[in-house]
Amino acid sequence: MTTSKTFQPNILVLAACLLIYPLVFSDAFYRDIGVTFLLAAISASAWNIVGGYAGQVSVGHSMFYGIGAYAPLLFYQHFGWPPIAGIPIGIASSIALAVLIGAPTFRLTGHYFSMATIAVAELIRIFTGTWDFAGAAIGLQGPAVARGWWDLTFRGELPYYYIFLGVLAVLLYITYAVEQRRFGYYLRAIKAGERAARSLGVPVRKTKIEALMLSATFTSIAGSLYSIKTGFIDPESGFGILISVQMVIIAALGGAGTLFGPLVGALILIPLQTATNTWFGGSGSGLTYILYGGIIVLIARFEPGGLFELWDRIAPARWKRSHAA
Amino acid sequence: MLLEAQNVSKAFGDFHAVSGADLSVDEGDIIGLIGPNGAGKSTFFNCLAGDTMPSGGRITFAAHDVTTASPEAHARLGIGRTFQVPATFEDMTVLDNVMVGAFLRHAHRKDAREYARGIVELTGLNPVAHSRARSLGTPGRKRLEIARVLATNPRLMLLDESLAGLTPTELQEAIRLVRRIHEMGVTIVIVEHIMEVIMTLTRRVLVFNQGHVIASGRPEDVVRDETVITAYLGHGPRRHRSGT
Amino acid sequence: MLLLQVIVGGLLLGAIYALFSSGLTLIWGMMNFINFAHGEFVMLGMYVALLVVVWLSGGPAVFGFAAAVALFVLGVIIYAGLIRHVMRGPMLAQILSTFGLALLLRYTAFFIFSANFVSLPQTSLSGTVDVGGILMPLAQLVSGVLAIVLTVGLHFMLTHTTIGSKLLAVSEDRSAAMLMGIRPNRMQALAWGLSAGAGGIAGALMAISYPWSPSVGETFGLTAFVVVALGGFGSVPGALYAGLIVGLIQAVSAYWLGPIYKDIVVYALFVALLWLRPQGLMGKA
Repeated sequence: MTTSKTFQPNILVLAACLLIYPLVFSDAFYRDIGVTFLLAAISASAWNIVGGYAGQVSVGHSMFYGIGAYAPLLFYQHFGWPPIAGIPIGIASSIALAVLIGAPTFRLTGHYFSMATIAVAELIRIFTGTWDFAGAAIGLQGPAVARGWWDLTFRGELPYYYIFLGVLAVLLYITYAVEQRRFGYYLRAIKAGERAARSLGVPVRKTKIEALMLSATFTSIAGSLYSIKTGFIDPESGFGILISVQMVIIAALGGAGTLFGPLVGALILIPLQTATNTWFGGSGSGLTYILYGGIIVLIARFEPGGLFELWDRIAPARWKRSHAA
Repeated sequence: MLLEAQNVSKAFGDFHAVSGADLSVDEGDIIGLIGPNGAGKSTFFNCLAGDTMPSGGRITFAAHDVTTASPEAHARLGIGRTFQVPATFEDMTVLDNVMVGAFLRHAHRKDAREYARGIVELTGLNPVAHSRARSLGTPGRKRLEIARVLATNPRLMLLDESLAGLTPTELQEAIRLVRRIHEMGVTIVIVEHIMEVIMTLTRRVLVFNQGHVIASGRPEDVVRDETVITAYLGHGPRRHRSGT
Repeated sequence: MLLLQVIVGGLLLGAIYALFSSGLTLIWGMMNFINFAHGEFVMLGMYVALLVVVWLSGGPAVFGFAAAVALFVLGVIIYAGLIRHVMRGPMLAQILSTFGLALLLRYTAFFIFSANFVSLPQTSLSGTVDVGGILMPLAQLVSGVLAIVLTVGLHFMLTHTTIGSKLLAVSEDRSAAMLMGIRPNRMQALAWGLSAGAGGIAGALMAISYPWSPSVGETFGLTAFVVVALGGFGSVPGALYAGLIVGLIQAVSAYWLGPIYKDIVVYALFVALLWLRPQGLMGKA
């Protein structure tokens, strides 16, 4: 609660920066980074609802992302539907999958959920690689030429940038609303101690499933936006473990369970990733992922609360007092 | 009759933690459960709270059969409990902790907040209302647990050694708080090692030993009971808890 | 006859699954902690074997021993440097710690050894033997049998030795163990050493017969989850039976459905288990 208040004055500044960014940096390279950043922030914020607020650590969120990513191109490829029509189908399938995974595992401790998510994501990835209808290992393609607003296919990056920014704003607003409501209090109570939460009448399993459904919805949307924009999807870029890794690392780096944690995490990680890919010559050498692994281990070992928590601890008391009012 | 436990048993494998315990609680009672460590009172207590499912017997609360009901259902029906080792939500503020309880009867944040503020005031937690629970000491946490349960508006409160580990002054304050809650019309069942608490607060005690209720009655009678003295006080009076 | 050969081959590979899964189940049972990097221990054991063969021309006995020792040391270091600090922390830290470690180990191996598949040069264990009419590669036979012996040995150690009872004491009640003069940190470090060591030697045994790349760790890690879920969390004998079953199911489904389906069948089994019997087939209710 306090974080959102403390950072209120900065939100407008942040929003203004995000709005004018592509106009200032009109170079395709920078716009591409901007779009990548927004997409990463959307997926990590979506993960954050269940992984951060409710403390149910999914390490296989790529399953929802991948479903969201495949749906538009699958229906375009086979039935000629505009890719945008696949978005609601992706959402519906992701929600169904969320219930399917949440219902059995949320009866048990958090470890089971984590194991189940990674296993299911991997199962779907391998299966998709053998499924001819979904293009098997080769994947699927979208419309060859940009067609316009009616199916969200454009030639330049700019429209995508503002669409993604809009989705991110909606998601952050929903997260904020969740924080303020009973649902959000219940999520944090579950994270802090399930047994105690239950004794106070919190319907633990139902609340966790609802959180996973909400999280899956937006993760699926992120996947759809990705595949519609790139016009291509294959098992690795949809369901690959590194997709899940990125969501976890970005949310945890900024601060899991905080409203702006994922945004801050993406703000740091995406430029860093672009830089390392340039220095290390693409992701082929694995150095980027060594860095990812290292960051995750360091967060877990020294600062599980992420940068927000670190800031809370090291920020000079004077600064905080002047802003807390 | 508010709560009635009949012939409640709980076995873990071959170990019979509770065998055939009975308890009936009237509205407005304040009852103590005592007994040496490992006597089964904590297990029995957890059966009442819905945390442990009895392997035999029947528990009814306000005409509902709650023998196999979930802890959530217990809370909804009006049975609140505290934990022997405080289970406060460490990263949340004291007020937010209490609000989680208050949300049970108040769906909207504004109402829950208002109600929680009243409870925080009542329990003397006002000065720390906006501190995180982790910054509190043991007395503060025990008090917060009581506040949180109180916010669920229970008819029956089960206190699991909520007064253990306090200094004499804190203990007196805590006794006053429990008495206050009782005067508000909340029925109380309390597990406690500290005889002072049992003697000053309760009207009736149940003494557990080796899974059985070996005596029950007014506290001043029970402490003079031969079987009780050998079973319980014979181990030497204990002022402070160590897990059962 | 071919099916019989497939079955025996599956059981022999399953024995190795049992060995590395017993390491995972040991940590879970003792500390209620899931190690997402366990498959990477197996993968590292394979590369240790490769290095010993290439640099020192060591035989199977040498590189098996070397892999066990190297991974034992790594396990202890990881416990002391990382796990000890996160194991009682928030769930997020627990899961992130080994998840991040898995990435770190996997891609470090990737960076050093490249993504290409490698295999060990011919060892003294080449050739086939005739087992009751079925021709089995000698290496698979020896490593499968050895894996069973080691798994049973681990179980024996846990149940019949002083060290084992100390480990169990720590897992049952940390503070009570401390009162008995046992140092929980040492015991838990030992458990991590044994767990990683079991993974390492299992890796070395597999390296004799199968090619591998740095990414196999992920597959083995998930396989170990399935085995542990099937055998019951914390049970070494359960891991032994479940390992054999998983190996068998994999081999048979590869034979009937095609090799790409073998992991799908196993993971689907895992998901089904979570639905139907989350405490494991042989676990206590």
